[in-house]
Amino acid sequence: MSGPSSSFRRILPWLVILPIAALDLFIVVRNPGDLDRLLINMILALSAFVTLHAKLLSLANAGFMAIGAYASAILAIKLGLPIAVSIPLAVMICGSVALVIGMPVLKLKDVYLAICTLGFGEMVRVLIILTPNLTGGPTGANLSTGFPYDAMKQTRTWMLVVFLAFLAFLFWAIARSRIGRAFRALRENPQAASTMGIDIVAYRRMAFLMSAMIAGAAGAFYAHSVGSLDNSDFKFNRALDILSYAVLGGSGQWFGSILGGGFLTALPILLREVLGASVGFLKNFAQLPNIINGLALLLVVIFLPGGLASVFGPGRKRARPASGAAGHDLAAPEKPAAVAAGEPLLVLDGVSRHFGGLQALDNVAFRMQEGMILGLIGPNGAGKTTLINLVSGLFPPSSGRIVWLGKAIQDRPAHRIARAGIARTYQNIQLFRDMTVLENVIVGRHTHIRTNLATTLLRLPREHREERSAREDALALLERLGLAALTDEHAGNLSYGDQRRVEIARALAMHPRLLLLDEPAAGMNEIETQKLGAFILELKQHGYTLLIVEHHMDLIMKICDQIVVLNFGKKIAEGTPAQVSRDEQVLEAYLGRD
Amino acid sequence: MAALLEVKALEVRYGSIEAVCGLSFDVAEGQIVTIIGANGAGKSSTLLALSGLVRPSGGSIRFQGADITGHRTDRIVRSGLVQVPEGRAILNPLTVEENLELGAWIRKDRKAIRATQEKVYGIFPRLAGRRGQLAGSLSGGEQQMLAIGRALMAEPKLLLLDEPSMGLAPLLVKTIFDTIVAITQVGTTVLLVEQNARQALRISDRAIVLSHGRILREGPSAELLADPVVIEAFLGKSE
Repeated sequence: MSGPSSSFRRILPWLVILPIAALDLFIVVRNPGDLDRLLINMILALSAFVTLHAKLLSLANAGFMAIGAYASAILAIKLGLPIAVSIPLAVMICGSVALVIGMPVLKLKDVYLAICTLGFGEMVRVLIILTPNLTGGPTGANLSTGFPYDAMKQTRTWMLVVFLAFLAFLFWAIARSRIGRAFRALRENPQAASTMGIDIVAYRRMAFLMSAMIAGAAGAFYAHSVGSLDNSDFKFNRALDILSYAVLGGSGQWFGSILGGGFLTALPILLREVLGASVGFLKNFAQLPNIINGLALLLVVIFLPGGLASVFGPGRKRARPASGAAGHDLAAPEKPAAVAAGEPLLVLDGVSRHFGGLQALDNVAFRMQEGMILGLIGPNGAGKTTLINLVSGLFPPSSGRIVWLGKAIQDRPAHRIARAGIARTYQNIQLFRDMTVLENVIVGRHTHIRTNLATTLLRLPREHREERSAREDALALLERLGLAALTDEHAGNLSYGDQRRVEIARALAMHPRLLLLDEPAAGMNEIETQKLGAFILELKQHGYTLLIVEHHMDLIMKICDQIVVLNFGKKIAEGTPAQVSRDEQVLEAYLGRD
Repeated sequence: MAALLEVKALEVRYGSIEAVCGLSFDVAEGQIVTIIGANGAGKSSTLLALSGLVRPSGGSIRFQGADITGHRTDRIVRSGLVQVPEGRAILNPLTVEENLELGAWIRKDRKAIRATQEKVYGIFPRLAGRRGQLAGSLSGGEQQMLAIGRALMAEPKLLLLDEPSMGLAPLLVKTIFDTIVAITQVGTTVLLVEQNARQALRISDRAIVLSHGRILREGPSAELLADPVVIEAFLGKSE
């Protein structure tokens, strides 16, 4: 980066923060009710951030806000509970509802999810209108429907400040933990994340649940801050407003949403207070604040695609070289259960797979012993990658069995197969492109780090220890693969061959018992291929078992113990490199004759 | 004869990575020029800069005498410089024929387009048999043929090929290299990036060896094939 642009980058964040802070201060002075609204909108912004960050386009926040608001109001007024009880109960009700509707709804993607969640919000509102005895119905929860203002209005500003501070701590802690890393990984490449052992369905559910609970809390605080409720407070434009806070802030970093919520709330208030009062003709333009907000959103989306948060840069620590990483020995694979002598590690038994009318694999069978290198070769389109996809659980076989350590695994999802000790790389590289090289490799350690939400929040020393060891492990692997100089680069910026090496490092970080390499030498020249061959042999010496798909025949012939040849989905030959290279059918279909 | 392509002091950066640092070379009409080099040497970045897919951070590119530095890709394609991207980038949900037709997007004359299409099917008879098939259902080698065929549909003066042999079975690698020679015989100049250095040097007229974004060696391919530095770094001792 050149000098002037980098100093500009240092100033830029303050150009955003200072005006927002100034606006906020101004509001504090003018009207405490507006301050409550500001804080509540910041909380709502965080609720939208959670789902957006997990790549879920959910518009359910307004619905959950309504549930939280009415639940807490009813519990507090009709049952006479103190808000210290009614608000947490309302949050739990929101959580339960989210769990139930999340199950069907989260199967949807993108715009379908958006429409469905929007429908949910409207359904909540209709239910509120249809139950007047409980909620006050269409006239709202106010004095006339038995919700006295004084009893309702219990929230004090300091409570909101404390709650927002708690959320900020929560997000800060999660963002730097393995949970945050898993979210970033699944947001960038769900398929790769699942083959790293990350249960992407569970993470999506968790995001939806967190988002619902935060929106519910915001709603409960809202009810007790305003002192009366009206179902029209929770119309779909509220859902869109909440989403726009998070979009303005950027889906990458949580604090952006707080800024976004603050900005979009403060600006119209400011316009109303200052301009509306002093300049007479503006009184006729009641929509002006909305127009200005829309304009601000448009400008940010066009000029700061990463949202307000992006002016702060990625905000990551630079990796220090691992102390003594040079010459670090390769870690051995993890082998929780021993294989009985002579028993195979992996067995494929009559495995077939078709895609529509195309028979990609046809009744393929072979077995792998622990510690061997098996080469899988065949013409393009022979079904080699399909076979790797089946073993790693990306999709199940149409028929046949895949047996791992004596257990049938063909119907298990990818993350469970990864956890059982099978790691893979991809023919068409599947890195987390916007994460650094080091982070990519640390994601490979995901299942080995045992932190959960509790240890993250309590900041137990164990977590720090585990993170550090994962980091050192990753740095050592990168060093071994000759990538030490690139640890802090975004993976997407690397050359093709280097990206392949990062994928291998990421898979090895799982300490897998079986490593599936899909064309690891593609994009490498002969010297690099030879180095890769030496490295693979070294892995074998350390006790790894490998299945390799590759077209570099020098490499395959040199390192493989056994070779399986596929053609049109069928196994046409199997044997040692010497046997296979003499096989008539193989020469015909694949190697060619000179 | 003035060179078809003149590159002067070309620089490409990604964030803090300097991929290409001050590269200068020429490509003469009718030749096959190959760029070889280790991973991260800047080969693909050079091609991407030439075709406008990344913006050069410095230097100039002249094509047929006109400055095209920093022009948009579509404009560069219209001027006759077309790239076959690494990783093929064919359009899976379209048929083979539709993919080819898209390659001729910049051309108007339907009759001439038909003629080019028949020429492409002549070079790749396997594609002819699969006109109506979805591109996504082709095997890797056929997809590579389609990617090259699609680029030829624009009737380029200069074709950039980024690792056309990558991921192909040994039998197909030979076919692809034969095809590249066939392409130049119909009047297209080729700038080729390859990891399969031996084959690339055999079929090319001139070669450039890149290392860390700079030129390490440059000259007639036959000479480089015998150059000890090139043998040491890229060819190995086999054969």
